[in-house]
Amino acid sequence: MATHTVGTDEEWLGARKKLLVAEKEHMRQGDELARRRRELPWVPITKEYSFETEDGTKSLAELFDGRSQLLVYHFMFGFGYRVDEQNPGCTGCSFAADHFDGVLPHLNGHDVTLMAESIAPLSELNAYKERMDWKFPWVSSLGGDFKYDFGAAFTQEQQENGAEFNFRHVDHPAPQREGMSAFALQDGVVHHTYSTYDRGVDALMGTFQYLDRSPLGRDPGGPDSGGSWWKRHDEYQDS
Amino acid sequence: MPEHRVATQEEWQAERDKLLAEEKKITHRGDELTKIRQELPWVAVEKEYSFETDDGTKSLAELFDGSSQLLIYHFMFGPVYEAGCTVCSSIADNLNPNAPHLKAHDTKLMMVSRAPLEKLQAYKKRMGWDLEWASTAGSDFNRDIGFVNTEEELKPFLEGDIPPVVEQMAERSGTNPGGYVAESPGISAYTLEDGVVYRSYVSTARGLEPTMGYYFLLDRTPVGRDEDRPGEFWLHRHDEY
Repeated sequence: MATHTVGTDEEWLGARKKLLVAEKEHMRQGDELARRRRELPWVPITKEYSFETEDGTKSLAELFDGRSQLLVYHFMFGFGYRVDEQNPGCTGCSFAADHFDGVLPHLNGHDVTLMAESIAPLSELNAYKERMDWKFPWVSSLGGDFKYDFGAAFTQEQQENGAEFNFRHVDHPAPQREGMSAFALQDGVVHHTYSTYDRGVDALMGTFQYLDRSPLGRDPGGPDSGGSWWKRHDEYQDS
Repeated sequence: MPEHRVATQEEWQAERDKLLAEEKKITHRGDELTKIRQELPWVAVEKEYSFETDDGTKSLAELFDGSSQLLIYHFMFGPVYEAGCTVCSSIADNLNPNAPHLKAHDTKLMMVSRAPLEKLQAYKKRMGWDLEWASTAGSDFNRDIGFVNTEEELKPFLEGDIPPVVEQMAERSGTNPGGYVAESPGISAYTLEDGVVYRSYVSTARGLEPTMGYYFLLDRTPVGRDEDRPGEFWLHRHDEY
């Protein structure tokens, strides 16, 4: 006896077709939002930022690496979910980062550079990256304002007195949060085009998307419950 | 890159705030759709299917491999293909790193294709994937679920104007348009309870975009997908860029 409603092929097909109409409508709403994102104005960045990379110190413009667009994932390092000395990269960000190498060649082939950025020494990022067997570029923004200016890290003063996170006031923001920012390079000028945080990076995690299509879903507590079943990919028992 | 409207931080912020409200709506609508998906009735799969795997011939129930849920990506690699479909290959790039996380969530993720197992194994090695990939050669599995098309069914399509992207993709897989579109891509989901396999969900076409993480990211870039430009389709196998 199944624990769920069981139907015939015809019953299933009837329900599936109804759902398909809703899925298509949702997909088109997504297309419309993508169009509206592209219509956002661009904001020229006049402040100088510098990053430590595998190829030495670079400016924000240099991070584009010859391409016209740049996506930077704000990776929480030294702070975050299940972080300690042996495991300095946030578990949630590590989960997100597991998805980067698969899309990297395709984005690069589409004139988009994708990388991660953290406020930690490059040597620590490199060591963790080697352990996780990742290939995507990961730069250090330690010592600069980049992560703070793009809303993914908060000063002691902000943590005590409040700041904006995900475009709304938070009384006591955490020292770091996850997020992603997009930039365009035109005539040597870098423009900020888009940033997103919190569940705005949800769809990046294919695992969530696939579980949303599985019989039992992604999380018993629902998508906003901050599910905690996932681990670093090398921490699962039989990995 | 095209000329674009430039604004101050405050102007950007005002427009971003409005967009955020819409983005949240669509995220929550997605959550609702997930609920509706989970409410679909399950259909018992009564027909016997067999799959050729790295560990020998298996039944559909055996593919679960200890998990209670099974997600299958139907990868376009027909018997006449010389290499796997380019777009499916980019999807497999996305699927591959998810398998350990899904397994921890009681869900087995794998791929199936109609080409013989040896062809799949050789191609998988070339692409560096470790995701399980079974052959349905000799089984009706892909046909029954609607991801195999007969010559007769394809006749109207093949006699019409074949889109250039289909020509390109067929050529890149070492076949012709007819051979290429004999296969369709798709995903299907199953659960196993008391030894009975139930099918819960099937999707295809743009319903596969959640397995294409690059679209999620391109939809957040200044230029976007930009797929209307003439010439060759932008996606390639990851070792062909």
